[in-house]
Amino acid sequence: MTDKQPRPMIEIEGLHKYFGPLHVLRGIDLSVAAGEVVCIIGPSGSGKSTLLRCINHLEIAQQGRIRIAGEIAYRDEVGGVFRAHSNRAVAAVRAQVGMVFQHFNLFPHLTIIGNVMEAPVHVLRRPKAEAMRRGMELLTQVGLADKADNYPEELSGGQQQRAAIARALAMDPKAMMFDEATSALDPELIAEVLAVMRDLADRGMTMLVVTHEMNFARQVASRVIFMDHGSIVEQGDPAAIFADPREARTRDFLRTVLER
Amino acid sequence: MIELFNAEVAVENFGPLLAGLVLTVELTLVVMVLSLCFALLVALAGMSRFVWLRWVIKAYIEVMRGTPLLLQLVYIYYVLPEIGIRLPSFAAGTLALTLNYSAYLSEVYRGGIQAISTGQHDAAAALGMTRGLAMRRIVLPQAIRIILPTLGNYFIGLFKDTALCSVVSIQEVLFTAQIIAANNYQYFTLYTVVGAMYFAVSFPAARLVGYLERVTRGGYRSRHP
Repeated sequence: MTDKQPRPMIEIEGLHKYFGPLHVLRGIDLSVAAGEVVCIIGPSGSGKSTLLRCINHLEIAQQGRIRIAGEIAYRDEVGGVFRAHSNRAVAAVRAQVGMVFQHFNLFPHLTIIGNVMEAPVHVLRRPKAEAMRRGMELLTQVGLADKADNYPEELSGGQQQRAAIARALAMDPKAMMFDEATSALDPELIAEVLAVMRDLADRGMTMLVVTHEMNFARQVASRVIFMDHGSIVEQGDPAAIFADPREARTRDFLRTVLER
Repeated sequence: MIELFNAEVAVENFGPLLAGLVLTVELTLVVMVLSLCFALLVALAGMSRFVWLRWVIKAYIEVMRGTPLLLQLVYIYYVLPEIGIRLPSFAAGTLALTLNYSAYLSEVYRGGIQAISTGQHDAAAALGMTRGLAMRRIVLPQAIRIILPTLGNYFIGLFKDTALCSVVSIQEVLFTAQIIAANNYQYFTLYTVVGAMYFAVSFPAARLVGYLERVTRGGYRSRHP
C-alpha cells in the first residue's frame, strides 16, 4: 500500500436525507481517518442512526457524496446527473463496513458460529474450514467460544450483541459502525459489550459509534461529535467537549444526560 | 335381507381400490412438489418492483380464487381442446390443481416472507449480501419454518380435492369405486372402503401437521435436536 497521504476511511460531503417532508440530515460533512474512534452523541431524532444507515446505504440519501476507503460509494454524479451503482457494487462496498445494530439482528435459524461464517462463506466465498477457524478465533476474542454451537435465542442480550460484533468482524471490515449497540440491553449486560468495543478500539479498528454511553465516549473516543436536528453542532476532543462545550445546545444535552 | 356391508365385495375389490388410492397419492405428491415451486415463483413475482408483473400475478391469483376448482378442471380438459390444446387426463388434472393451489400457496409464502423483520434484511445487506442471496439464505429458511404447518394443512386439502379429478377421468380411488359400483351396486361397501382409505391417509397426515405446529412454536434448538 502506498499510504503517503492516506485518504480517510470514511468521507462524507454535503449529505442530505429526507423522509418525505422531514429533513433528517441537513448537510453532513464528516471524515473518519483510519484507526480513529468517532463517537456520535445527541438527542433522539437528531439523525445519528440515519447517518450510519446512509453510510451503509440501508437508507438512500438524496444528496451528497460518500467515499469508503477512497472509493465513491453507491452512485456517481456526472454533470449533475446521478447514476446508481449496481446492486452487486453496493453489496461489495457494504461488505467492507461492519455494522452492529441496536437489536443485534442475529439470524435465528443459524447457530452462533453459523451466523459468523455465513457471509464469509457465501459473500466472500471463503472455504468453510477457513471461515470456521477464523470464526472461532473471533468468538474467542469476544469471549463466546463455548457458545459457538448454540442458537441466538439461547444467549443473553449481551452475548447476542458480542456474537453480532464477531459476525461483522468476520468480513474483515475496514471500519465498524455501531448503531446504539447497548441501548437494548439490560444495564448489567452493557459493560461486557462495551469491553469488547473498547478492545476493538485498542486493536486499531476504525470505528463510528452512535451511543448514549457518555463514559465510553469520554474514555475511548478519539473524537466526539454532537448532532442535533440533522446537523453536526459541535465536534472535538472528548475531554474538551465534555468539560467545556462551546455550544449551548451541547451544554443542554450533556447536562440532561449526565444528570441521570 | 340386504347386507349393508359386504365383506366379500370389499376384499374382492380391494386391489383395484388400492391402485386408485396409489394414483391419488401420486397425483397429490406431484401437485405438491410442482405447486411448492411454482407458488414460490408467483410469490416472488408478486413482490417484484415491476408494477405490471405485480398486476399480472394479482389477476392470476384472484381468478384462481374466484372460480371453482371443478370448473378449472373441466375447463382445462374439455375447453382447451377446442383451441387445439389437448392434454391427457393426468396432465390436465395436474395442471389444474397446480395452478389452483399455487395461487393459494403463493399467498402463504408471501405472508411468511413478510413476517421476517426488516432487521434481518438490514443485517444481511450490511454483510454484503445481495437481495437474492439474502432471500435464499436468510429470509426463506425462516419463512418456510413459519409456514410449514399451513402448507401441511393445504396439502391435506389437496389430497381430498384430487377426488374432483374423476371428472377428467383420472382413475383415482373415488372414480375407481364409481366404476365398480356402477356394475355391482355395492355402493355402501365400496364408498365405505374408499372413505376409510382417505381417512387412513389424511388422519396420520393431520397428526403430523399438528406435530409440526408444536415444534415450530418451540425454539430453534427444538427443531434441531
